[in-house]
Amino acid sequence: MLLVVLALQTTMFKELRPFDVAAQVMLLFVVCAGIQFGIGVGAIVGLVAGMMFDFVVSTPAGLGSIALGLAGATAGLYLYFFPSPIWWLRLVSIAVVSAIGEVYIFLAQAMIGLGAVLELRVLRIIAVVTAINVFLSPGFFWITRWTLSERKKTR
Amino acid sequence: MASQNTTRRRAIILLTLTSIMLITLDLQDSPKVAGLRSIFGTLFYPVEGVARVITRPVGNAWYGVTHYNKLLEENSLLRQQVAQQEGATVAAAASVRLSQELLALNGLPTLAGINAVTAQVIGESPTSFSQTIEINQGAESGIRVGMPVLNAAGLIGKITKVFTNRSFVMLITDPDFSISVKVVSTERKITGSTVQGITSVTTSTAVPLEPVSNTPDSETTTTTTTTIPIEGFTAVVTTLPATPKGLTSITIPLASELAVRETGVIQGNGPTRQPTVRFIDNSLRFGSIEAGAPIVTAGGSRSLAPPDVLIGVVSRVVERVGSAGPLLEINIAAELTNLSFVRILLYQPITEKKSP
Repeated sequence: MLLVVLALQTTMFKELRPFDVAAQVMLLFVVCAGIQFGIGVGAIVGLVAGMMFDFVVSTPAGLGSIALGLAGATAGLYLYFFPSPIWWLRLVSIAVVSAIGEVYIFLAQAMIGLGAVLELRVLRIIAVVTAINVFLSPGFFWITRWTLSERKKTR
Repeated sequence: MASQNTTRRRAIILLTLTSIMLITLDLQDSPKVAGLRSIFGTLFYPVEGVARVITRPVGNAWYGVTHYNKLLEENSLLRQQVAQQEGATVAAAASVRLSQELLALNGLPTLAGINAVTAQVIGESPTSFSQTIEINQGAESGIRVGMPVLNAAGLIGKITKVFTNRSFVMLITDPDFSISVKVVSTERKITGSTVQGITSVTTSTAVPLEPVSNTPDSETTTTTTTTIPIEGFTAVVTTLPATPKGLTSITIPLASELAVRETGVIQGNGPTRQPTVRFIDNSLRFGSIEAGAPIVTAGGSRSLAPPDVLIGVVSRVVERVGSAGPLLEINIAAELTNLSFVRILLYQPITEKKSP
């Protein structure tokens, strides 16, 4: 499933650029996994998804892995604080963690000196990615639930 | 449950360490990371290909929705460029012909010496009956009634009403529009006499030339004619064959045989019909007029436009019986449906100028 999501990220969502910002469905997948299955699953999904993503982009391999792993773990805190899910709280959490995830990516790039500059455009990217993730989250909730629940049954 | 957590924890630690190691290796430009990328790319490529095929319609729809205005702007810009190119092509073709006259007559009045004002089109005609546009420059910029208006491709009309900061331009297609024009002949052969005793002569032309016929005469006179097919008409140049003694010769075209023009009056016929040129002499001096012949303004002391402003090319010749002469339908070089910026030549014929 991660391969499919990655393929969507590198094809369709690379071209759909509202306000000249590309949607981050890999981040959304990780955040949805974290929110539904906790810190551990969120971190693992994030690390694996990030590593896959790193192999198709030009940034150093492993960088996205760390950032998305952190984002997945952060999303997993939702279950820690709110064990009984509330739908609108989930949406708020997705918005917050998506924004934090983008900040993680930004910070990770800055840490290895990739020329990340804090400018107004960064805020726009965070805002647009957050809005898109909230919009797409119902579908991705269903996808992550189906994907990860399937794995549980086979075990 | 505890063992599951331990496994997860180990997996997280392992993946994190792997990531850190990969970052370190990749920043060192390790070939191993490059190899891993290559392997992953090979495996991922088919999946990505399928996804691209499936999602392409979505991407196209999105592009159509979000870039529609940009597409319109781009289309408009391209139309302008095409008009400019078409005008330039015809103008270049006419220039080849004119250059021979200029060489012989040592200069003719050109547009270079005439001041011009650039204006933006701010409105179209409020009625369906007149072909006019409104521009944002007026008397303050020196614009007067009758001045010719051009765009990048050629003549588009003339000023018909002037206010302080705006003016109205009557387009060529307006039925009330008329101006004297001349038709540049499309094919001619020049003969001339030769001046000998010149050791080196250089001829230069704007287009690559390939001689079609090359027939040097003997001894004292040499007549050489080269015909170059150029879109719209055929230009003529002379070549200089070297004599056996190492001398070269120049062919000077006879003044009486320089490019002859037929004059007439262009009149608009509305937006849906092409303008026509009337009052062409029935007995043409340079033979028959053919489609593609450039039409330029005639100039003269009474004409509102200076000479040699490009208007368009002949698209059809309608022969008429009697002494009326042929009627020429004109394909205008400028695209009148998509005007954004125009240039007003601050030109007034001598007869219109007020003496100080």
